[in-house]
Amino acid sequence: MAQELEILAEGEAPYLPVDPDGFREWVRDHKDRSLRPKLMSEREAIERFVQDGDYLVYECNYLNRGPAALLREIMRQRKRDLWVGCKFTWIDVALLVEAGCATKIDVGFFLYSAAIDRAVKEGRVQLYEYSNVVLTNRLLAGAMGIPFIPVRSFGGTDGFKYSGAKLVRDPYSGQPVTIVPALNPDVAIIHVHQADIYGNARIYGVGISDLEAALASKKVIISTEEIVDTEEIRSDPGRTTIPYFLVNAVVHLPFGAYPGEMPGRYCSDVEHCVEVVGASMRGRLDQYLEKWVYGVGSHAETLDKLVGYQKLAQMVERATIKEGYGR
Amino acid sequence: MIELKQPVGRKAALFNEREHQICVVARLIEDGKAYWIAAGGSPMASMLLAKRLYAPNAVYVTEDGIVAPEPLIPFDPMQQVVSPRAGYRALQWANMNLIGAYAQAGVLDYGILNTLQVDPYGNINSTALGDFEGGEYRRFGGPGGADSVAALCWRTILLTDHDRRKFVPRVDFISSPGFLDGSEGARERWGLPRGTGPYLLITPWAMFDYEERYMRLVAISPFVTLEQVLDEMGFRPKIAPQLQTLETPTEEELTILRTELDPRGQITLPDSSRWVALNDDGSYSFVEAEAKAVDPNLPRW
Repeated sequence: MAQELEILAEGEAPYLPVDPDGFREWVRDHKDRSLRPKLMSEREAIERFVQDGDYLVYECNYLNRGPAALLREIMRQRKRDLWVGCKFTWIDVALLVEAGCATKIDVGFFLYSAAIDRAVKEGRVQLYEYSNVVLTNRLLAGAMGIPFIPVRSFGGTDGFKYSGAKLVRDPYSGQPVTIVPALNPDVAIIHVHQADIYGNARIYGVGISDLEAALASKKVIISTEEIVDTEEIRSDPGRTTIPYFLVNAVVHLPFGAYPGEMPGRYCSDVEHCVEVVGASMRGRLDQYLEKWVYGVGSHAETLDKLVGYQKLAQMVERATIKEGYGR
Repeated sequence: MIELKQPVGRKAALFNEREHQICVVARLIEDGKAYWIAAGGSPMASMLLAKRLYAPNAVYVTEDGIVAPEPLIPFDPMQQVVSPRAGYRALQWANMNLIGAYAQAGVLDYGILNTLQVDPYGNINSTALGDFEGGEYRRFGGPGGADSVAALCWRTILLTDHDRRKFVPRVDFISSPGFLDGSEGARERWGLPRGTGPYLLITPWAMFDYEERYMRLVAISPFVTLEQVLDEMGFRPKIAPQLQTLETPTEEELTILRTELDPRGQITLPDSSRWVALNDDGSYSFVEAEAKAVDPNLPRW
């Protein structure tokens, strides 16, 4: 006999509308299953695959294996009205806010700073509350093509009220359980160690939700330290983190995590990290953006004019741990 | 009574409150158990110290997917996560969803969390201080992984400074759950797993457990009085009939902490942490002290 699912409590925040069938149709119509080369410049990738108003996720953060160069290109192209899924993020969110790119943020964790504070208090940015794992669970649900996912955390918190979560009575056990809506972002940007020209990508080391984010998102831009031959991918298929048919664009960006660390390849630029965090704390990210984003036209120009060979060589030299990173 | 391990080594003559807190927590870590540890700061320092001196077979995971590593210490500044040094010689490199699943499935015995503000029920605030609903407030980074740790590990160990601003009758915002309103079954009514919740709270001055889901003072540090401990709390905790004493750090503990785990003083030299001297007569006093014990030649961030 049909019964209504009993909702015991629910959060009041807007959440990205859930539409698993719509997502499937998007995947059918837009994700190319043919092996087609997708190499392009960062400018072209961001122009074509990031639109104003998109829901954006990215993996890791500005100082730790994040797609830092692609994030700078998003800011350089002055994308607007992005809704950002902030699991395990850091200073990157403040940069996106300062650059005027982000207007809605699902918060798991970020480095709160003067720029975000100003924007929130002036009403330019809305914050909705989650936790890191709840956000990656939402991506997992999106990746599975299901509409929501039960979680055994988050219930009873004040964040719950400012989220899209609901407390329902589990129809199987009769016990209360929190459910959160699946997340199918418009676009995911992910920086990887190796990829072939089709987008078969390898990530070495730990991660947050690389595959989940790629599978859950309508559009996926990969930036990669290294382009490898497809024969190399086929020689060790167990190493493929993200398969080509999830990927829309491949951008070859050596040092694409700069100023962050790329495990097994290079350490972070410590001075740069101190500069950007300091600028954030002082409320002067505008100066940082002027120098590192608007003042240069591309990632290559950034490395050439602002970083230089010597610094990059030092970062590589300091990365002494190779075990487990494919080298 | 909580079993307090005897410290290894000779009592140190000079230490600061943070160092003391880290050593107390290290001695509480159980061998052979699995911990979910915040990636940096004093929870990690306690775990690594414990593995050296007290619990070699305790293992830990971090939210970025590191399982049971043998990390290369110290970590680079701002590189505690997704870092080859932090994840060195791990037994598995996983990801956030998998670590969450390990906790949700009951694998993780303990979580250790630093907290910005706590209340008698062990609820944790890391989101906003002040009136979040329409008033003035100061915002912080959000729960990050702490909500999952506090909800899903079997037992949660909380750390905070001993400061009346940190101990409030009700946190301004529950970012991560303790016993919620303190009523029996409150966590279960919100869908959290049965049998979980706050276990201990440790400050540099005192240790608390939870009796009937309400904070209870069970031990104090020998350099403060009961009165001082209670004065710096915004509510009155329950008090155990017999108070235990938290042993102060030993030279062995401090040597590992200062020279190996935190040579740059990022964790152990916060401005707010006062220095304590052990006097010849066995008494303790707060002293004005430079960070003498830390090698001035080491780089500082």
